[in-house]
Amino acid sequence: MANLTLKDLQKSYGKTEVLHGINLEVKDGEFVVFVGPSGCGKSTTLRLIAGLEDASGGDIEIGGRVVNNLEPRDRDIAMVFQNYAIYPHMSVKKNIAFGLRTSKLSKPEKEARIQDVAAILDMVDLLERKPNQLSGGQRQRVAIGRAMVRDPAVFLFDEPLSNLDAQLRTQMRLEIKKLHQRVGNTIVFVTHDQVEAMTMADRIVIMKGGHIQQVGPPEQVYRTPANIFVAQFIGAPSMNIWDGEIKGGRVMLGDVALPLSLAHVKAGTPLKIGVRPDDLQLGSADPILHGTVSLREPLGPETLLYLSSDLGAVIVRAPGKNPPEVGDRIALGALAENIHLFDATSGEALV
Amino acid sequence: MNLRNTLTIRQKHILWAWGFLAIPVLFYVVIRFYPTGNAIVLSFQNWNLLSARTWAGADNYVKLWHDEVFWKVFKNTFVYLLLGTPFSLVISFLIAFHLDRVRFMHGFIRMMYFLPFMTSAVAMAWVWRWFYQPVPVGIFNNILATFGIPQINFLNSTTNALPAVLAPAIWAGLGFQVIIFMAGLRAIPTSYYEAARIDGVSGFTILTQITIPLLKPTIIFITVFSSIGFLRIFDHVFNMTTNNPGGPLNATKPLVLMIYDTAFNGFDMGYAAAQTVVLFTILLCVSLLQLYLLRDR
Repeated sequence: MANLTLKDLQKSYGKTEVLHGINLEVKDGEFVVFVGPSGCGKSTTLRLIAGLEDASGGDIEIGGRVVNNLEPRDRDIAMVFQNYAIYPHMSVKKNIAFGLRTSKLSKPEKEARIQDVAAILDMVDLLERKPNQLSGGQRQRVAIGRAMVRDPAVFLFDEPLSNLDAQLRTQMRLEIKKLHQRVGNTIVFVTHDQVEAMTMADRIVIMKGGHIQQVGPPEQVYRTPANIFVAQFIGAPSMNIWDGEIKGGRVMLGDVALPLSLAHVKAGTPLKIGVRPDDLQLGSADPILHGTVSLREPLGPETLLYLSSDLGAVIVRAPGKNPPEVGDRIALGALAENIHLFDATSGEALV
Repeated sequence: MNLRNTLTIRQKHILWAWGFLAIPVLFYVVIRFYPTGNAIVLSFQNWNLLSARTWAGADNYVKLWHDEVFWKVFKNTFVYLLLGTPFSLVISFLIAFHLDRVRFMHGFIRMMYFLPFMTSAVAMAWVWRWFYQPVPVGIFNNILATFGIPQINFLNSTTNALPAVLAPAIWAGLGFQVIIFMAGLRAIPTSYYEAARIDGVSGFTILTQITIPLLKPTIIFITVFSSIGFLRIFDHVFNMTTNNPGGPLNATKPLVLMIYDTAFNGFDMGYAAAQTVVLFTILLCVSLLQLYLLRDR
């Protein structure tokens, strides 16, 4: 089976360590998305899995065998590049066939395979075209086709959607997800876009500074972020974070005691308190803070309100119809289950 | 209403464009087009620089057609082209391809290859001429003698002279072609090679299926550029065979040297002009043919 296992994977360039021991198990057929800001090591991890770069330490296992010392072609993987890497001088068909050059299949078998892939990707009519006669989305599909034709154990995608415009990106996102449901291969997908990560992944791997911050299904990383970084990175607009503290076993946000108790935390410990803009209730009877609207961003179905308060800036999601006016003072409440608490020094979530 | 306000923006742009273009256009007309036209007219006239120009009709061309030396020279010119262009192309590509991978003293090595291009052709020709001398002066014959191989008569043999003159001409142009090839190689995205590595194709396949096709614009440029260079070869030949320019027995004489001879030794300007027109036509045809053969299909 095509499990992918990373064991204490490290990478350094000279003295600069960019990956500090990555541990991850990807199950057969799983769609895993690596997400993080640029320079977090997500692309490096992918290139190490592909074999385009050598690991400085640790093991990579694909389907139960250690592939560290295998050439990329022997690792049973295929990769889709950010700039697609399709050859401009070859027709679509030749581009797809290039992935089969070293395969031992007979000519009719190869031809059948190309036709199959073209059919799945809805490109049968485009096979004789040159890449410069294709749209961005079609080129993207050629790149996927070239990877698919190899029928690899693991697909690697390196930010494949970032060169497309917003509308096409949404469309390709769906297509890739559908494709995964259909062919069922293991996919490792790298992106810096948290929306892509949330919408496509079975499990998200959030990275920062060469460390994994959290691994889990989209729901889980959204509902129970492991630390402040994850809390703010996942979800748009970002989670509101304020300073708080513990007084007499009560969690205090300014002068307000929140409906939470943290018996195991010492009194006087500084805390960070986070609530997502969606989870703040306007005009609550039992408010946790008050703020004055300083800016509105109407988005149609909803309006984003930027408030100034004694605790600092606050972002709130308000309904699209009849939102509060700029200058209005509003009360905001939150349910206990939607309030996230973090250690102020380490940034780790407190449960 | 004055002129400035009556013109549309587009008309103003055109006016400005032609204003700026006027100087180069004038320059080209005086320096390029007028002499070219004049040379074509002259090819139908007789003129020895001193007397008046008299009409000769097609006499100069008829004379050229029956001139044995012209056909010999015509052949030489194409030998320079057909040997020089492919050799320089292959050698410069091989150097560029490997130099591209060298990290050690990359800049210095590249500079060393470029150095001959900046050196005076006259000086180079004389140094090479010296290399070609018999033992004990010439380095090549000295090397041959060390291994007990018979001496080779480079510049005084009708068969060896042309390649011997061509070699330094190829060598001199390499630096430039290597630089252009390296720029072409650098312009190929690395992801193409990474994708090929994942597909697991051989180095030979990568070279023939990816690198060379993607270098096509570079190859076209260098082919046309070096072809024109070899068709117009002059200074190397002239300086390596000064005692008897183009010799021995016209074995190394290219068209440009014949034109020079006819014009400034024979003072037959009309005849020289006719040869020039022929050279011009050849250059035009060869360049167009190459562009046609190497076009995007």
